[in-house]
Amino acid sequence: MATVDLAKLTVREANESIRRFGEQGEDVEVLNPDARHHIGVGLVHPITLRIRGSAGYFCGGLTDGPRIEVEANVGWGLADNMTSGSIVVRGNASAIPGVAIRGPDVVVHGNIGSRAGQVMKEGTLCAGGNANFMAGYMLYGGRLIICGDSGAQVGQDMTGGAIYVGGKVDSLGTDAMLTDLDEGEADELAEFLERYEVSFKGSFQKIVNAGKLLRYARAEPRVRVIPFFEASTKDGYWSDKVQEDISVKAQLGRYRIRGYGAGRPLPHLSDLAFKRDLTMIPPDPDVVGRVELATSLGGRAAANPIELSMPLMIAPMSYGALSKSTKVALAKASALSDICDNTGEGGLSDEVRSAAKRIVFQCLGGRLGWNIHDMRRADGIEIYISQGAKPGLGGQLMAKKVTPEIARIRGIPAGIDLRSPSRHPDVLGADDLVIKVEELREATNYEKPISVKLGAGRVSDDIKIAYKDGFDYVCLDGVQGSTGAASAEVLEYVGIPTLSAIIEALDALDGIGATGMPIVLMGGIKDGLDTAKALALGAHSVAMGTSAIIAGGCIACLQCHVGQCVVGIATQDPEHEERYNIDPEALNIHRFLESVRWQLASIVHAHGYGSHRELSRDDLVALTPEAAEITRLPYAPEYREQPQVLQVATG
Amino acid sequence: MSADEQHPNGDARGGRGAFTEPPEPDVYGPERVAPRPVPDELDPVDDVPDVNFVPAPCQVACPIGTDAPSYLAYIWEGKTEEAFEAITATNPFSSVCGRVCDAPCEPACRRADSDGPIAIRNLKRFVMDELGATYKPAAVPVTKEQTVGIVGGGPAGLTAAQDLAEAGYAVDVYEMTSMLGGYMTWGIPEFRCPREIFEEDINRILARCPGITVHLNTALGADVTLDELKERHDAVLLSIGAWWGKGVGLEKPTIDERVIDGVTFLRRINDGERPAMPSRVVVVGAGDVAMDACRVAKRLPGCEHVQVLYRRGEDEIPARLDELEGALKEDVELIYNIQPVAVTGEHGDFVLRCVRTELGEPEEDGRRWPENVPGSEHEYACGLVILATGQRTESEHLEALGMLHEDKVRTDWDSMRTSDPQVFAAGDGAFGPSTIVMAMQHGHRAAYYLKSFLEGIDDPLPYRVPFKTRRVPIAQDPEWEVFHREEQAFHGLGENPVQFPEIESAYDAESARREAARCYRCDAETGSADYNVHAREDIFVMARTQPDDGLKQRATFSKRLRSPMDVQPVERPPSFDDLVFLPANLSRLVIDPYRDACRVNVSLGERVELAAPFVATGLDQAPGEVRIALGRALATVGLGYLGRRQLEGVPWLQLVGEGDQPNAEAAAVIAVSRSGPAAPPDRLAEGQLVGVAASVAQLREAIPQALEAELDILLLDACPPLSHESSELGAHPDLTVIRDTIAIMRELNREEELEIVFRGGVRTGTDVAKLIGLGANVAAIGVALGLAMGGNIDDGQVVFYGNASVDERAEAAELFLRALSSEAAIMPRCTGKTDLRNIEPEDLRAITIATAKATGLPLAGVRELAAVQAAGS
Repeated sequence: MATVDLAKLTVREANESIRRFGEQGEDVEVLNPDARHHIGVGLVHPITLRIRGSAGYFCGGLTDGPRIEVEANVGWGLADNMTSGSIVVRGNASAIPGVAIRGPDVVVHGNIGSRAGQVMKEGTLCAGGNANFMAGYMLYGGRLIICGDSGAQVGQDMTGGAIYVGGKVDSLGTDAMLTDLDEGEADELAEFLERYEVSFKGSFQKIVNAGKLLRYARAEPRVRVIPFFEASTKDGYWSDKVQEDISVKAQLGRYRIRGYGAGRPLPHLSDLAFKRDLTMIPPDPDVVGRVELATSLGGRAAANPIELSMPLMIAPMSYGALSKSTKVALAKASALSDICDNTGEGGLSDEVRSAAKRIVFQCLGGRLGWNIHDMRRADGIEIYISQGAKPGLGGQLMAKKVTPEIARIRGIPAGIDLRSPSRHPDVLGADDLVIKVEELREATNYEKPISVKLGAGRVSDDIKIAYKDGFDYVCLDGVQGSTGAASAEVLEYVGIPTLSAIIEALDALDGIGATGMPIVLMGGIKDGLDTAKALALGAHSVAMGTSAIIAGGCIACLQCHVGQCVVGIATQDPEHEERYNIDPEALNIHRFLESVRWQLASIVHAHGYGSHRELSRDDLVALTPEAAEITRLPYAPEYREQPQVLQVATG
Repeated sequence: MSADEQHPNGDARGGRGAFTEPPEPDVYGPERVAPRPVPDELDPVDDVPDVNFVPAPCQVACPIGTDAPSYLAYIWEGKTEEAFEAITATNPFSSVCGRVCDAPCEPACRRADSDGPIAIRNLKRFVMDELGATYKPAAVPVTKEQTVGIVGGGPAGLTAAQDLAEAGYAVDVYEMTSMLGGYMTWGIPEFRCPREIFEEDINRILARCPGITVHLNTALGADVTLDELKERHDAVLLSIGAWWGKGVGLEKPTIDERVIDGVTFLRRINDGERPAMPSRVVVVGAGDVAMDACRVAKRLPGCEHVQVLYRRGEDEIPARLDELEGALKEDVELIYNIQPVAVTGEHGDFVLRCVRTELGEPEEDGRRWPENVPGSEHEYACGLVILATGQRTESEHLEALGMLHEDKVRTDWDSMRTSDPQVFAAGDGAFGPSTIVMAMQHGHRAAYYLKSFLEGIDDPLPYRVPFKTRRVPIAQDPEWEVFHREEQAFHGLGENPVQFPEIESAYDAESARREAARCYRCDAETGSADYNVHAREDIFVMARTQPDDGLKQRATFSKRLRSPMDVQPVERPPSFDDLVFLPANLSRLVIDPYRDACRVNVSLGERVELAAPFVATGLDQAPGEVRIALGRALATVGLGYLGRRQLEGVPWLQLVGEGDQPNAEAAAVIAVSRSGPAAPPDRLAEGQLVGVAASVAQLREAIPQALEAELDILLLDACPPLSHESSELGAHPDLTVIRDTIAIMRELNREEELEIVFRGGVRTGTDVAKLIGLGANVAAIGVALGLAMGGNIDDGQVVFYGNASVDERAEAAELFLRALSSEAAIMPRCTGKTDLRNIEPEDLRAITIATAKATGLPLAGVRELAAVQAAGS
């Protein structure tokens, strides 16, 4: 057995060493752990790791296969997202032990802190003593064994799995209920306890999901969308759209749900114009070769930044919201255009990984499809805090789309109206986030950029926190961002416009003298023109989601939530997915991206610049008083190409 | 664009004398990205300038711009007459097209990429079968002195004739055969389109246009010369068709009746002949003529087997897929990569000698040219060879006048003129064999240039196919994503093939409706201002542009530069809609809106405990049933009613106007006055709340008075007057009333000493949450609740009809109020709060200056908050 002494090594050095021993199949003993964070993080070999003392946060986090023994206590996030193997803690564990585990045995001989087993999918989490409040919070699967008392609100918002309580059940959480043990279940529990030398005398009560809140009581009526201008005209206060909303809500008894982003006109990049007359740009087929558009993203703390052939990425969209075919087409297109794809929520499939040249793997609060192996084969890691379409809300996947395969990848029960958690279990504030980022860096050997995705709200505060937390770059998403399903009210009225977001972010960073943290702007960016304006304002690059989807066949009917997407994009129904032709659509998306490149290159070239980096605020004017007020650019409505009166179709 | 620069459409007018060719169609080409303005004359039928409209690909693909999306939507709505109007507006041969149109719209249909295109042609047939035979058009009189002679009564000639006659010109049509319709009536066999269908369209044209005079059996050259026509008429249009088969350079006995060209064959059949066939027939070629010929042969007596020989492969086949499939279903054998070289033999051992072919490299047009494989010669025994390998124009008369060039009347596409300045040409005879619908485009086009010529306009604007939309709402069929393409019933040869019974029957009404519901409505505005119809279509075009196609890239880019919908409207009144919430992210912990609790109930006192911060209002005048239903819903949810009339069983906030008697039973009494502030009411019972109502003009006096009198409630009326329940419908609510109320109370250092009830224009729970953020305590909901209970806005009022039971209305009201409550509860959680009452102005931002001013809130993204507040003052 090898020895690693934390009195002599940093955790980073220790973990590198542990992983090397792991590769050689040699067991390791950790001396003087001193409750340091992240011990053993990222270990993917089935060795024994014996920790001679207490460990701090995320002990054994993001691991697959090891047998970890801790002689004393552990800090929060024990076994975070562990895939297989075991951890045995002789003392107590702090909050969220067994968070998001997907298969291992996690045994704490003493007591466990609050929210034990939060969003766990599979495996066993066992406490020899008592649990604190909300044990089994948002449990999706697996079993949680509490030999002592349950603590308050046990099984709060659980959707699957089972919780066994040997002591007192203090109170049941929302949608949890007591039930009888199945035949043989008591023996299985006894066998487990015996195997891990947990002494228990008595009998267990079993708690499962009561099944009352897994689905919305009433399904969204299927309607085809009313044109947006019906809702946006001067005289349209009680417009057809408003009336339809009222009548639907009088059938639903709750907020409405739909796909896409804010529907009404908002201040946007299109309210800006370049001073230079771009109508005269030549139809130059070779303009792309005349300027430099390549860029590199995320080298603030990561060894291997993401290289992009132009300052453009594919925005995160999940396999789940989108069909696998669509994800593959996007990945292929991103590779053809030599840019970077993003997984969104819900994991990274082999097909997408092999189709994409570069891909960012997104980490969300539900940790659905999240695991160490896919982190390792991604090119960047992104912590999702929120998104522009629905900041404050977790992902939403209606039951029609939660197929057995999607459920398997995500580790959740099939056929539920999946409402992903709105928060990370282990990020309750900026300080936690620092430790979380470090964990991800440890797990990926400090190689990959770690970014944060933020829906635009209190941008000024949020961006400063992101800077201080050391992210390599920030993806900032305005209220114009789209999604596959969300409350229509949140889509429209929560968050600030993309234009406001970038200005506020840059002002805030400027205010603290922060440099070197690039901003990737997204939310309603549609073409090379929008891209150039975003870059001129100060964004490092942009990301496009909806536009890429439209290029690949989406008809913008806003019915993504229904799950029967007519073109096979926002669906998991095999018959509908079959309608999607991957290769032709990948080519369409690629040509769209190339057209964006052509436009961007033409704009850069028309200004006499050699690179997009030379674009600046001085090149822009504002076309509306709002845009002028927000951006502090000169208000110059004479730059409008033509009268911009909202004309209403009649008849 | 400079004046001398080539238009991206490649269709700038060249100099006279240069004979241009028609452009290649491209549904996603610059023609659609940046359509040229249409000439004034066509303006009324062109809707392209409408910013909420982009012609759908099917409409662009249609050579005559048929408004297919509208007629499909009309079919779904059951409005057959309106559909008929949309179909026939630009298509004089609609009945024929319902059966045999080449339908270029269908491959262009976006659903073709998914689960099959909409059956646009079959749906046209459905409508025409209903109305085509019975429709009686209004006749247009001759109003002009000039006349036009048209040679050839096919679709090009008759379309032009109708356009010219509709413009008031007298038109003489000279037709060499014994009936109108041109090659289509002589070439298309009756099993695909019965004779009466042609007659239906032709009769409609002639009924509409009494100014058209028809001269049958009058051939150019033999019966009338071009000079005579030029003498008789102010202008002449040659639409003489391409009636003659081309042959394939086959070595054959000079005269052998067993080798016949397809055009002649079909013409004889349509003349009524039903010749006996040998048992084996070979058709050479695989175009539409070949398909018709092989299927005709199959139906004739004696024929046992028909083989079609085609020199290219299956993917290159030029016939319409429908026709090919029809032939295959009728047991015609298709043989690919075969080139006949000679017909040999005498009676008894007649054979067709052939070689195999292989396809060479793709040519510029993408088609691959077949090359003979040496040594692959072999023979087919057959009794008849039908050569269907192309058509050409033949006219000795025009040949002699030097007007033909490469088997066609030499014609300039950009002016439709021939080498003779008085003579125009159109159709197959001018530009080579094409489809019926293309011939009609030529007819429209030629008529346009003819009219310009007759009116003495020397240099008319270029013709463009006009695109009209009838703005029909999208079919609200919940299954539109699911329905598969409906096929018409196919009958094949039928029981008695030689009588040529029709091969298909039309949809019934239900299948037509299902099929029509499938339409994506690529023409219609979307529900997203950001991804509006222009943005979506431009992205589609970008996705179909080769990276190095500079001209098309530039055209799309220019369109993006002036995208008409993208800049937001400047004139927008202050509105709840222009307020947004700031979500919690890193700086605050979000409260999970799916799970975590959020308190929404409020208490104004022990007699007014509300489950959510709203009361119902504005339904004093509603019918008794509606009020009963409302009372039940309010009691179930736990809310109150604000009005002059009491609603049993729920807390009553009584409005007391002039002449009203305050009621001791009321939970609250609120005095209302239209002129000046209302006098503070007396408290009639213990626990009863008292208050006054005020509109913005009354605040300065009302607030100090209310505070002085120690009132409990201030009712703010944002849509005065309160006495008119329908005043909510009259205007946007005046948001300054809440801004000013809070400002005045702060001036007096007495903020929060009055419970503020806001009335006017509240539609959603989000509106309520915004009001709470602005400083209100309770929102009164009037019109929205009336609408939720089945009311309709009619003549400025919410009216109710007997279309729902009390139970239904009560349930609707309850569900609507619960929905509002659920919406109101999301917003605080998104901003990181667990109680609706805790929403602060700080949680809100405005997105327009008007709304920022009306509410005193900062504009989103503005650094100096004070600056905007100053603007608001």
